[in-house]
Amino acid sequence: MNEFEWRRQLRDLRQPLLPQRDLWGSIEAELDDAERTHRPVDGVLHEPRAARRRHWLVAAGLAASLLLAGGIGWRVLQTPTATPVASNTKASSHWKPSDPRLAGAAIELDAAQMELRLAIRQSPDSPSLQRLLDRAEQQQTQLRHLASQAG
Amino acid sequence: MSPASTRANDSDDVRAAAAGDRHAFQRLYRLHVGRVHGAVYRLAGYDHARAEDITQDAFIRAWQKLPGFRHESAFGTWLYRLAVNVALMDIRARGADPVSMLDDDHLPDTGETPFCAAEREELERAIGQLPPRARAVLVLHDIEGWRHEDIGDELGMAVGTSKAQLHRARGLLRKVLGASS
Repeated sequence: MNEFEWRRQLRDLRQPLLPQRDLWGSIEAELDDAERTHRPVDGVLHEPRAARRRHWLVAAGLAASLLLAGGIGWRVLQTPTATPVASNTKASSHWKPSDPRLAGAAIELDAAQMELRLAIRQSPDSPSLQRLLDRAEQQQTQLRHLASQAG
Repeated sequence: MSPASTRANDSDDVRAAAAGDRHAFQRLYRLHVGRVHGAVYRLAGYDHARAEDITQDAFIRAWQKLPGFRHESAFGTWLYRLAVNVALMDIRARGADPVSMLDDDHLPDTGETPFCAAEREELERAIGQLPPRARAVLVLHDIEGWRHEDIGDELGMAVGTSKAQLHRARGLLRKVLGASS
């Protein structure tokens, strides 16, 4: 056999071939899935994963803020020289105690709640974000209560 | 159906599918899956399961990219190139090294192995044993009829490298066939 014949033999391999199973069902299911989750088919899964990662970063940052605010509040209460704070315990998103240490905690808690509400607006079904918001509100209530006691 | 009417229907279906018509896309799938899968199957080393995954992926990508299809080439050609690209990406994703699957040292040293007649299945089996990148060049050039310039573009290699890979792939193929005969 010469090279010409050998190469012709190779060229003859170029023939259409159907898959052993019909792939249409799988293709359609994949397209349905992509449309249902509003994710691009190409580069699959990247968007939801990235979004989830962003939510967790927000949640982690807010949790750290809450801990910081709680810690500041606790330290203020342990300090006997704590000065009287504003007696306004009425629910307000801009409550500002006169004690600068408590004011810092209040600002942190305000900011945390605002960020959490924005995050919940984007992901209304996130139980972890809702839990964090509940906790932030509880801590703010505690801070007001403790501030009024100190006053 | 004549080729002209096939192309006309094809074109209507392409436009409908680009606008989101799944039935039209299914017709395009039925019309082109044989050509696409044949090429993918050869590039995947005659591995049925892997080739089916790649073919499926190629059609999913085609659906996604269809709105951007500019009708500058025939849809079948566009789809075929897209599928080959997906198959080559699969080869790259597997970290295909030219010598990763079959080392020259493991082949019998038969010197200048003559071109030998082989049954179709035997030839396909031998091609399936080639290193992925060398196989890709051989399949694209000797079977699919691509030019080295196009192969180089698609595989990200110089024309000279593509020619060298082809020369090597042919040598390896002849050795494999010589060893099995």
